[in-house]
Amino acid sequence: MTPAAPASSLLVPDARTQARNRAEARFRLYGLAAVSAAILMLAVLMGSILSNGLSAFRQSYITIPVTLDAATLDKAGTRDPSGLRQVSATAYGKLIARNLQAALAAKGIATDGLKPKDIAALLSEDAGARLRNMVLADPGLIGRTIDADLLASGRVDGFLKGRVTEESAAKDSKIKPAQLTLVSAMKGAGMIGLRLNPAFLTAPDASEKRPEAAGLGVAIIGSAYMMIVVLALSLPIGVAAAVYLEEFAPRNRFTDLIEVNISNLAAVPSIVFGILGLAAFINFAHLPRSAPLVGGLVLTLMTLPRIIIPARAALKAVPPSIRDAALGIGASRMQTVLHHVLPLAAPGILTGMIIGLAQALGETAPLLLIGMVAFVRDYPGLPPAGLADPATALPVQIYNWTQRADPAFVERASGAIIVLLVFLMLMNGAAILLRRRFERRW
Amino acid sequence: MNDLRLTERDLDNRTARMTARKVQVHYGQNHALKDVDVDILDKTVTAFIGPSGCGKSTFLRCLNRMNDTIAACRVEGQITLEGEDIYDRRVDPVQLRAKVGMVFQKPNPFPKSIYDNVAYGPRIHGLARNRAELDEVVEKSLRRAALWAEVKDRLHAPGTGLSGGQQQRLCIARAVATEPEVLLMDEPCSALDPIATAQVEELIDELRENFSVVIVTHSMQQAARVSQKTAFFHMGHLVEHGDTAQIFTNPRDPRTESYITGRIG
Repeated sequence: MTPAAPASSLLVPDARTQARNRAEARFRLYGLAAVSAAILMLAVLMGSILSNGLSAFRQSYITIPVTLDAATLDKAGTRDPSGLRQVSATAYGKLIARNLQAALAAKGIATDGLKPKDIAALLSEDAGARLRNMVLADPGLIGRTIDADLLASGRVDGFLKGRVTEESAAKDSKIKPAQLTLVSAMKGAGMIGLRLNPAFLTAPDASEKRPEAAGLGVAIIGSAYMMIVVLALSLPIGVAAAVYLEEFAPRNRFTDLIEVNISNLAAVPSIVFGILGLAAFINFAHLPRSAPLVGGLVLTLMTLPRIIIPARAALKAVPPSIRDAALGIGASRMQTVLHHVLPLAAPGILTGMIIGLAQALGETAPLLLIGMVAFVRDYPGLPPAGLADPATALPVQIYNWTQRADPAFVERASGAIIVLLVFLMLMNGAAILLRRRFERRW
Repeated sequence: MNDLRLTERDLDNRTARMTARKVQVHYGQNHALKDVDVDILDKTVTAFIGPSGCGKSTFLRCLNRMNDTIAACRVEGQITLEGEDIYDRRVDPVQLRAKVGMVFQKPNPFPKSIYDNVAYGPRIHGLARNRAELDEVVEKSLRRAALWAEVKDRLHAPGTGLSGGQQQRLCIARAVATEPEVLLMDEPCSALDPIATAQVEELIDELRENFSVVIVTHSMQQAARVSQKTAFFHMGHLVEHGDTAQIFTNPRDPRTESYITGRIG
């Protein structure tokens, strides 16, 4: 024991205080470092996704005058829709290829050393099909010459976006350096350029060979249908369960057991719910595979505990004095809950609901097991019948695209991640807005 | 009111609205109330006094069966309202509570408008046939709670925006809107400042004209000021019950005397 220094001054901190201050400064530094690391990682993640994916929202189009030759497209000359339908997309592809050569010749762009096939390969295989759809929608176009925007092939698109170069083309079986030289010349003549690509959000998925045509249309519809199913089922069931457990259920072993189970279910890996859904809904109940209905049911199972827990917390946060007040003037328990407790808990319940929905929207694993990973090109019909049509979902589409070999799909997958993140941010923003808006003091 | 005029109060023999006989209350293993016999007289203010934990609030909550919401609580004995046993199996506590209103310790208006606060009871009990009648009930209740003049221009403002004393009077208005026969008040002034307390006490005296009032209070001065009958609880026993003047000037039980002179509690 050393006696305290007799002449201790408040102006000079003693050794103990100095050590304490140093420890405090160190602790603050650790915290700051942790936050900075987190922000840095987030920035790197967002940076890589945005730099890879933003280009998916723009697409290369070749703009040339196309003569919609009546002799090729409508041999009968009757403009009869069933007759027009017999002309295949391939025939339209050949028509476009001829027009492209003509256009190049008209502009005086040299195509030395390139076969007609190589020139046609600058266009996407989907270009013919899109032009066909346009003509079928408006048969009056036949016989006229229109300025058509034609989808360029994935490699040409990659060249304009800087992904494909002369060096990479030399090793690539799908494109030759001479083709790229031609594209450069066409760019100089203003025949080809990047423009906004709404088809990325509306078009269905496309095959391995046509990354330029692949879109998120079916996935967005599928995800939206699943969210409808999840919302329609988990909101009433979740709120009813939370209200019963919080306001009416007696406290006994049975309700304790239920409580423990709900808490544990919230932590069960989502793929387990996928297996459950496969066994219960598809193998036992014989519901269709790949359907948003089944996906929604599986996600409902997964989301329910995650909704019940915050809903119960919100109900518990309503002060007991409100219940006393209502009971004290002779409201029944149900009136107390419906008139007073539930409205006060609603912002908390809705916030939990939206966060649960956002989690469900981003969930992939259970959907893989119930067949939503399939390649789907047809849009599902309108609900309710459309809920049973095959569809994919946004996160599964991302997973799907990352599995494909063509590097153009990396851009597509990153673009799809951006779309998914925007939806999630909108939902979380709605949750915050609801909380702010309906929060009440008491 | 003046404490010194205690003995001059009129205390003719009024009829009993509620009677309690041999009431026992258990919370699980805890025997909270033992053999309580009390009569609540018509148009009279009855005060329950006693140290904290003596069972006075518990007994109050037995009178409109608010204890039903506590699972571990068990009530024995007989409590009657107008001669009918309120713990009979056929009694719906919801109907009982419309006849035996309650005001709580902390002002607890609903987070709704002043109008909706008062109109809630009449609405759920179907006491008003139309909007005009409901308006009338609301005005009458707010007048009885001495709040009408202060809020008549902002009936649709939120009830939680009022001051503490106004909130408590709003809660009283809400309780009297269902025309109860008995009004229970659980320390209604403990969260209020002295001025608001004085207003509420004055109001209690006015309410006596129409209702039987039972008030639980920690303040012996308050009991002396507002009540005609006083019951002293201690350790779960009803120690003494009688005219307020007698309890405060000439207590029969030594424990009562110790409490009112400040030696216990």
